[in-house]
Amino acid sequence: MAIFVILALLLGVACGQVFFSEETAGFISEKSEWVLMLLMFSVGISVGTNRELFQKLRRMDLRVWMVPVGVILGSLLGSALCGVLAPFGFLPTLSVGAGMGWYSLSGVMLSDFYGAEVGALAFLSNLLRELISFLTIPLAVRYLNPYAAIALAGATSEDTTLPILMRHSSAEMVVYSVINGVLTSAAVPVLLRMFYIS
Amino acid sequence: MLILLIMAAGVFVGYFWLPKKLCRLNTWIQLGCTVVLVFCMGVVLGMRKNFWEELASLGFWSLLLAVLPMGCSAALVFLLTRFWEKRKEKKEES
Repeated sequence: MAIFVILALLLGVACGQVFFSEETAGFISEKSEWVLMLLMFSVGISVGTNRELFQKLRRMDLRVWMVPVGVILGSLLGSALCGVLAPFGFLPTLSVGAGMGWYSLSGVMLSDFYGAEVGALAFLSNLLRELISFLTIPLAVRYLNPYAAIALAGATSEDTTLPILMRHSSAEMVVYSVINGVLTSAAVPVLLRMFYIS
Repeated sequence: MLILLIMAAGVFVGYFWLPKKLCRLNTWIQLGCTVVLVFCMGVVLGMRKNFWEELASLGFWSLLLAVLPMGCSAALVFLLTRFWEKRKEKKEES
């Protein structure tokens, strides 16, 4: 799986740089929304076919809230550590980490707030978070626990990284992943705006 | 919101209609879609005019700003869930 992901990424960068015109690349990136929707429909089917999951849903515990709280606080702690050293300023650096993997939104918002350089940094860093998640989720499930794997994915745990999380843990984790994704995604624009105002 | 609605439609189809035989095909569809999505991300990165300059100047900080928040999030969630599980075990024992 990981090798397919790396090859697809390299091929995509090469096509974007060399083979595709700006219009073609724009068309592909626009139509990727449809692929995401097909993926989510397919993930939904996997959840629906798992009858046991619906029984387990009734027994959800405190960990449902623990995961998003840990993701938000951990992301802020990690980016605050970078903020002490980075040459972009403390709050802009903190905001980049607060994107939690949502590269499109954080890239655009932070370009508006702090300029093109911080916007590009947010885009690259949050895209990297998503890509590194694809490679590290199987390791986190194996050596830590499935909840830590969800934390790696951040705000993307409800969509792009959800199939990988499900493949390497269990269908039960889908509920934790989706709730974490929804709550952390909702927190991203709020945090970015809050840091900008302060 | 739309994505969650589409997923809910998938849950409905999976629960009431999908024959077991098609589950394997569904897994392949997920794999294919994931690879295509990563390819699209690569295209988005590659189409940035100053991609190599940005990568050279911001690459180190981008990587650090991806890895440190990820690491801290995973560590914190791991510790919290571990602590919770241990506490639950103790309660059950007593």
